[in-house]
Amino acid sequence: MTDKKVREQLERFNDLLETMMQSSEDKQSALHGLRVLEISYASFPGLICGAMLGEMGADVVKIEPPQGDPAREATYNGVYIRDVGIPFVIENRNKRMLMADFNEDRYVEKIKELAKKADIIIDAMPPGYLDSRGIGYRQLAGINPGLIYAALSPYGHYTAKAKEYKNIPDTDLTAQAESGYPALTGDPDAREPYNYPLRAGIWAASYMGAAIAVAGILTALMYRRKTGEGQMVDMATYDAISAWQGFSHVWGFTNEMPRTRIGNFDWCLFPYGYYKAKDGYVTIAAASDADFRGLLKILGRWDLEDDWRFLFDRIADDPEKLRELEVEIKKEIAKYTRKELYEKTFAYGARAARDTLRSRGFPIVVETRSPREAASEKHWQVRKSFVQIDIEGFGVIRIAALPPRMSGSPSHTRWIKTGIGEDDEEIFGESDLKIL
Amino acid sequence: MTPFPAVVRRVFVTEDYFAFTDKLFNTSRIKEKPEALKGIRVLDLSRVIFGPMVAKWLSLFGAEVIKIEEPEEGDDWRTGTYWGKFWKDSCPYFQSLNPNKYFVAIDLKKEEGKDLVKELAKSADVVIENYRAGLIEAWGLGYMTLSAINPRIIYISCSGYGQWGPLRYYPSYDLIAQSMSGVARMTGYSEDTTYKLPDYYGDFYPAILGAVGVLAALNRREETGRGQYIDMAQTEALMRAMHNWTYTSVTGDDITQTGNFDPTMAPSGIFKTKDNEFVALAIATTEQFIALTEAMGARELVNDVRFRESKERLKPENAAAINDRVSSWIRDSSVQAIIESAKKNGFPAAPVMDDWKLVTDSWREERGSVVEFDDDMYGKGRWAGSPVSLSRSPGRLKNLTRPIGYHNRYVFKEILGLTEEEIRRLEKKSIIGYWDNRVGKRPPPYVDMEKDELFNYKKDVKD
Repeated sequence: MTDKKVREQLERFNDLLETMMQSSEDKQSALHGLRVLEISYASFPGLICGAMLGEMGADVVKIEPPQGDPAREATYNGVYIRDVGIPFVIENRNKRMLMADFNEDRYVEKIKELAKKADIIIDAMPPGYLDSRGIGYRQLAGINPGLIYAALSPYGHYTAKAKEYKNIPDTDLTAQAESGYPALTGDPDAREPYNYPLRAGIWAASYMGAAIAVAGILTALMYRRKTGEGQMVDMATYDAISAWQGFSHVWGFTNEMPRTRIGNFDWCLFPYGYYKAKDGYVTIAAASDADFRGLLKILGRWDLEDDWRFLFDRIADDPEKLRELEVEIKKEIAKYTRKELYEKTFAYGARAARDTLRSRGFPIVVETRSPREAASEKHWQVRKSFVQIDIEGFGVIRIAALPPRMSGSPSHTRWIKTGIGEDDEEIFGESDLKIL
Repeated sequence: MTPFPAVVRRVFVTEDYFAFTDKLFNTSRIKEKPEALKGIRVLDLSRVIFGPMVAKWLSLFGAEVIKIEEPEEGDDWRTGTYWGKFWKDSCPYFQSLNPNKYFVAIDLKKEEGKDLVKELAKSADVVIENYRAGLIEAWGLGYMTLSAINPRIIYISCSGYGQWGPLRYYPSYDLIAQSMSGVARMTGYSEDTTYKLPDYYGDFYPAILGAVGVLAALNRREETGRGQYIDMAQTEALMRAMHNWTYTSVTGDDITQTGNFDPTMAPSGIFKTKDNEFVALAIATTEQFIALTEAMGARELVNDVRFRESKERLKPENAAAINDRVSSWIRDSSVQAIIESAKKNGFPAAPVMDDWKLVTDSWREERGSVVEFDDDMYGKGRWAGSPVSLSRSPGRLKNLTRPIGYHNRYVFKEILGLTEEEIRRLEKKSIIGYWDNRVGKRPPPYVDMEKDELFNYKKDVKD
């Protein structure tokens, strides 16, 4: 391609990106036209799954008992939004609200009617509960053969353990534990109890589980497109992280014993962690040999190159030995401010990028940002990664938008409702579910 | 207490429900069942973890994924193994990241190499890349070029910062995305000492959302007949999983580091048992709290004004108090006893698993998320299976990885109709290639590639 052609290409590409980044109300979202019934009880994966489908344009009806979904109770430091927990509000995006008391047959019948016309059911109740009320997969698939029935529960809806453990409810922390995640983090040398396995500080398991359920649902949808057949999708929230990441399996299989924790070190890459600069923490990722040499040049420590030039010398199978190098790097980093380090590495990287052989590496040093620092980054404002939503009777809150960006069918958060059953009349009264 | 929650907890489940579901999901029948994404062709130009895992989702569910690597070197992760440990001359992580794929090696810097990709694009449904923003567009293999050739293509670019915005040209890794999102500062007990999310969560979690984007676009294409461009940013994925922005917009304060206490649930934490095991416990609702007090034989706690309602229980001083009580209770019990009472009474608790317990876990084997797999080239091993179970069109492991360029002949002959002569010409001109003879890149030592049928696909067939 000629230079002119490349330029024209890049210009057209830029135009496409610009329109993608605008708020494109005129384009239908990817799941426009799909009808979802979310029957979840004290399950954040269920809530998040429903929210994500809703953000992608599906018509999601959230069904709660008369006293409301107890998930409303969970919140930070006892702070509520109109008596509703903050996580519940965040994950109630784009849903319409229905109340149903499953102890009463008339409600069960109404749900059956709705299910006849639904595309997707989210069952985040204790396994077997909806079946016992006559609205489980086998009953609903009977009246709606194209139905995709997604069950989200800690141990799933099948296997001996699922049956035995069906009464255990879901939480992110217990799901992390059952996935082996806390065993990988923390400082084994700290004093009790700070040396215990450590919880990931975000809902790593709940979000992973919900996203996997969404992907499973959409995969089932592709099958239905071909064949007209629905099916059951079973996601075990307590296995979400482990089943997808798979590194525990690799380690366990090849070593026949578990990993021990190694703090800031990484099992495969070095340097790849946090370091204290003069005025706060920076994150260094410079693990390839070229990147590492680049880092040494930037820090003026070429003396270290001889002993540590190969990744095999730098990996953490002997943390004690690696600590020697770590100490030197820490010493150098501590001499500079975060800004200085960022600028030095960026200047180096910009020069290196012009090297056609790409042999000079591109070590990366960024600030280890707090969420507040992260949110104030201009780049996310340009991309509209955060959205303001008005909560009726409360005011405006800020949420993060769902990626990815799609050029043809963008995602949106249009509203967040919090009233139990506030759309009952509309939903029960209509002969056909409303399309957005 | 309302009747609904009580019924939910001590529910009578029809006896045969689990017999029904066991039959529905029986993993021994997976092989016979159809594949949801059969017929979808994917060109995977990505490397390392993020892009390849988007491709893995598709390949697990039956899509034909053609992984296009650089000759000689291939994907970095072929040699990026932990502790330098290789398995049959391959990196076992690489095996886990790239199953079921077809491996070709094309030099994308050469015009004829680009032409090969463009030819493949004519019949492709999905293209996946994770180069720095704009690079592949400049190479002439970006969305603008390929969608002009085939308007049905769904093209996903995977990056740290996205394709648009002032930071778009910066390279990124999992840890960088964790740092730019603020995730990096959330795990730990104090602002001064925080830990990253381990095992590259900043790659794996965004990969699922990338797969969601591709699947949503495939679904959409059924309506419109057209593909589209997808911009998947790692950092945005992580930010979507965080509540900090909302909490700060409501209170003006920040969510702080709280160690093993989940600040939305009281009591919560990871506790040590009498038999020196670790167990996690978290109470999300008052109903669960009541169940816990029954198990503890401490029903009176329900009447304590500090703990009676979630609103009170979650206040930091009350949460600390109830955590202390739970900690003592757990210290006097075995992990077995805690889990038994969790099952019986209905509150959330789970043992803290580890790598070895996990890969030998009989529940996971029965579920199919841990699989004993016998590969034609690499033999027996234990790997992650499907992360979610579909009753009619389940995901499955079909093959482990193959060396760089292993499927060159197979793919170029079957899909592009190239002759043996044409392929030899491409080899001679180094347009296509194979592995460098280094551990991680090359086949296992016991394989005689001269005799491998698939590698030498139709080599002697008269054109």
